[in-house]
Amino acid sequence: MSISKLLVANRGEIAARVLRTAKARGLATAVLRHPSEQEGPAHLIADEVVSIDGPTPVAAYLDIPQIVEVAERIGADAVHPGYGFLSENAGFVAALEQASVTFVGPTSEVIDLMGDKVRARGFVEERGFPVAPSAIEDDDPATFVERSRAVGYPLLIKPSAGGGGKGMRVVREDSALESEIETARREGERYFGDGRLFVERYIERPRHIEVQVMGDGQGNVVHFWERECSIQRRFQKIIEETPSPALSAQQRLDICETAAGIARAVNYRGAGTVEFIYAQDGSFYFLEMNTRLQVEHPVTEMVTGFDLVAEQLRIAAGEGLSAAQDDIAQSGHSIELRICAEDATEDFRPAIGDILLLDEPQGTGVRVDSGILGGGKVTTDFDPMLSKLIVHAPDRTQAIARARQAVQNYVILGVTTNTGYLDAILAHPDFASGDISTGFLAEQADTLTAPGEDISDLLIAATALSDDRLVGEVMQIPEMHRKMGGWRN
Amino acid sequence: MRRIESQIDTNAPDFKANHAAMTERLKEFHARQHAARFERPQRDIDRLARQNKLGVRERLKLLLDPGTPFLEFSTLAACREYDGAVPGAAVVTGIGIVQGREVAIHANDASVKGGAWYPHTVKKIVRLLDVALENRLPVIHICDSAGGFLPLQHGVFPDRYLGGRVFRNQVKLSQANIPQVAIVGGHCTAGGAYVPTLSDYNVIIEGTGAIFLGGPPLVKAATGEEVGVQELGGAVMHTSVSGTGDYRAATEEHAFSLAREIVSQWKRTPKTIIETASFEEPYYEPKELYGIIPKDRKTQFDMREVLARIVDGSRFHEYQPDYGTTMICGYAHIWGYKVGILANNGVLFNDSSLKAAHFIQLCNQNRTPLVFFQNITGYMVGREYEERGIAKDGAKMLMAQGGSVVPKFTVIANASYGAGNYGMCGRAWDARTLFMWPQAEIGVMGADQAANTMADVKIRQLEREGKKLSDEEIAAIRDPVLEKFRHDVEAYTSTSELWDDGILDPADTRNALGMSISASLNAPIDDPHYGIFRL
Amino acid sequence: MRRIFQIDGEETECWLSHDGTNLIVNMPDGSVPCRLDPTSEPGGYVLRARGRVQELRLAVGPDATFVHLNGRAYAIGRVDPAERLAGSDSGAADDRIIAPMPGVVVAVNAKPGDQVKEGQILLVIESMKLETSLAAPRDGVVAEIPFAAGDSFGLKATLAQLAPEED
Repeated sequence: MSISKLLVANRGEIAARVLRTAKARGLATAVLRHPSEQEGPAHLIADEVVSIDGPTPVAAYLDIPQIVEVAERIGADAVHPGYGFLSENAGFVAALEQASVTFVGPTSEVIDLMGDKVRARGFVEERGFPVAPSAIEDDDPATFVERSRAVGYPLLIKPSAGGGGKGMRVVREDSALESEIETARREGERYFGDGRLFVERYIERPRHIEVQVMGDGQGNVVHFWERECSIQRRFQKIIEETPSPALSAQQRLDICETAAGIARAVNYRGAGTVEFIYAQDGSFYFLEMNTRLQVEHPVTEMVTGFDLVAEQLRIAAGEGLSAAQDDIAQSGHSIELRICAEDATEDFRPAIGDILLLDEPQGTGVRVDSGILGGGKVTTDFDPMLSKLIVHAPDRTQAIARARQAVQNYVILGVTTNTGYLDAILAHPDFASGDISTGFLAEQADTLTAPGEDISDLLIAATALSDDRLVGEVMQIPEMHRKMGGWRN
Repeated sequence: MRRIESQIDTNAPDFKANHAAMTERLKEFHARQHAARFERPQRDIDRLARQNKLGVRERLKLLLDPGTPFLEFSTLAACREYDGAVPGAAVVTGIGIVQGREVAIHANDASVKGGAWYPHTVKKIVRLLDVALENRLPVIHICDSAGGFLPLQHGVFPDRYLGGRVFRNQVKLSQANIPQVAIVGGHCTAGGAYVPTLSDYNVIIEGTGAIFLGGPPLVKAATGEEVGVQELGGAVMHTSVSGTGDYRAATEEHAFSLAREIVSQWKRTPKTIIETASFEEPYYEPKELYGIIPKDRKTQFDMREVLARIVDGSRFHEYQPDYGTTMICGYAHIWGYKVGILANNGVLFNDSSLKAAHFIQLCNQNRTPLVFFQNITGYMVGREYEERGIAKDGAKMLMAQGGSVVPKFTVIANASYGAGNYGMCGRAWDARTLFMWPQAEIGVMGADQAANTMADVKIRQLEREGKKLSDEEIAAIRDPVLEKFRHDVEAYTSTSELWDDGILDPADTRNALGMSISASLNAPIDDPHYGIFRL
Repeated sequence: MRRIFQIDGEETECWLSHDGTNLIVNMPDGSVPCRLDPTSEPGGYVLRARGRVQELRLAVGPDATFVHLNGRAYAIGRVDPAERLAGSDSGAADDRIIAPMPGVVVAVNAKPGDQVKEGQILLVIESMKLETSLAAPRDGVVAEIPFAAGDSFGLKATLAQLAPEED
């Protein structure tokens, strides 16, 4: 089942990134485009750009029958889904199978399993991998207190019907457990009319660490080491790095082996990511498995030297993995910054605008996976992520320095982006020391969005002097009168 | 061009004494100007605020391009009339820059007698419109006037150069394709209604602006009709019903913004090209003029020292430096513009008159504007000079000067007596602008000579009647005459009567001339042609 | 020659002048002579102002200028005060609709007491073989429409009157 023509059922930076590797491998390539969508780098790379319709651009990219029809029509024998959209949609995989088009990714069964968070957790727990201890009252109300005690402290009591933090109680000592359960129950009843409860281990200042895995579907699974993704705003990552500054060599091996074990347990095919929640005490628990290529995969590529998309295409073409576990080593440090069109000072409100000037940084150890072109337009039709800036350096300190230099030199004018905010994160002493958790951005919100030096007069000067109409009006004044200024007799 | 080598010693006692005297004079002058511009009785300020109107100075600020000069004319007009109660003659005029264009501005000052037209008001407006006509400058009228001051209606209304001349000049401007815009920021009643209506464009400020031939009280008296200001001639009515008004402005700011936009629609006609050089500040400090001008008017001084503090780089190409030396002639640049300069360095003799006449013709031939610096007590008298034909040579100078086609500018730097005033392009001789320095005097003769002459006539008459006068009696005759003459020849009298375009701080002369010359080049320069020279 | 600049929601009104050598940005707290010279980079300039020399990148949009300076990007909104003033005369609308010529009322679409929007058609008239729709001059409440369909009216008749605006 060799592949000769690949359709990328995605857009933006990931479409361009996949297309580059596909082209390098000699494949014919095609990519989708909705009529209202701006030209992007992907459209310049692909051999073919196929128009798709939909009531909204996003709907078009989610339209399984239309995309399968496109693949058939243009004679694509494989589809790469990128991330998001249909990348974890078992129905899409099944529809492609039906049309005898190869899906670059896992089987629909694995997607189904991992897509159901409760089933996935159960599957992993059954096989002896660590999941966060928890107790559900409904399972056996009579033993709830005992089972809660077994979860261990600190623990978090949540109303089963709850949401938004209402009725949640943190319990740190056994003596308080029973009274807190009663309080939580009353609150649950008051807020939600439902007093049933749920208890789980409360992880203070958790980190988000994930492991890149890859399987050939023939039982061979390797990992490409971990990524630290604790820098999140609104539950979305914006800075990822590898190696994680939190892990010792042994912890690293443990967590990576655990991830590979989970992938092996499902006879994983393709690229996947096993996400863990990592506690300050070094314990870690399975969170979920993403059955696709992650946004942040480039940091793994930078430190391991592997092209993960190339590996995906090899596996899809039945060529198997290009490397064994022992061949995969981490070298140096890599950081990825997600460049998003958003206003960090306005609660990350998405920004729109015309890209009037684009000058992306380059140089040693700097990689930009970009989804935009100068002259384009940023709309709210899609995710606000415009591109990714990835740096690689011999160690973390140098990587931070390189990332700062690169993000400061990342020129995107015409739309508000988070480059300044990302730089502020990189400059934060806690980030430098690696003392971070998923709550870091929220805790440091004021520091990170604090206005810098007031340079408004310089900005006004530059704006005034580049305002041709304004300067033109002034230069209309005869030279002598200009020179006399506001003279009065 | 060579730089004038100044011989002035700024540490010399004379210089310091002169400097102190001039500084004192200027202090008074600036204080008077400031008062004329800004000091008003509180009730007038309150009235404007109540009427929701801006003062004329604020209006000018909204109108003019920021950071550009404004050459104001005759700030002290009427300063010796009406008991000084009509500062500036209730009107501001001048040349300024709007949207990069040189414009003449006529703005009523409603903080003075409601902007009523006094005789001197009319004179000042007519003069401004003459300036606009001569220099082809677009005019911006800021109208806010109570109308003609009725108790003095004969000084305002009937004669050739009175009220009607304002409108006549507006018509002539329009005929000459010189655009005008009026901003109606108050009432334009009766004759005043013709200022906006004879303008190519007008803007009426809603609420405060109104145009009518007869205001509500007059209408009531004439026909019994009762009608309010807004219905009779307000902005809404005129811009939507009568078409008398073009643009309706919600606020003063809006009105001046509209006016500026209107001005920016006007085509710019290329200016007359004359010889120019790049700008150069005077090499010598202009404020040194204060120490150069003698505190005693009778003390002679070298006018080259004055020129050195006004012209570009203090450079001067002198014509006939060794002939007719009481008349300095030569070329210089002012703000880059090449000019021919005539400056008095003593009494006019035959040779100096002939030299001046010849040099004026050279400048006309060369299309070089002329600048006159007056310090003249007259043409030389006496048998010797009459025999040499001083009257004939003076006539040649007048013929050449009066027949000039190039723009002329006059600075009365010190004395301006007798026919010297004529030869050196006094008011009657159509200088595009004419300014006086504060210590300068103008008259048929100096105050002393005049007083002596008149006293002598009186004394001889009394002697003929056989009366012998004591020294005290002579003084009693002479002193009041002297006092009156001293008063009459002063620059403040001249400027009050609009015999000039204003008194200048000598240090401002360079800019005032630069603005004047630049404005003059909006009009073409004719081919030279003369009358008959008595040879 | 004047501009209002908006940075992070703060407005600064400035005017520009030129002294024959340098452009001068006149800000509320002082005048700043400055120069902006292009570099070889796209959108690159060197700004000299307040004794500082700054490299920057700059792009001019229709209503805002974007500046990349010291590693950060800024958006500076530009407003021409004249344009802002031009919008200030909308409150000047009349309360009445006056007949522009004599004619006949064809239709009346509103009655006294109706809340109407600016531009809403209040009545249709016919005159000189042409139908004309007459719209409310501003938002408001109809006070009076004295004519009914079929009535004729003379020049300058008041065809509709809005209730006076309350402050």
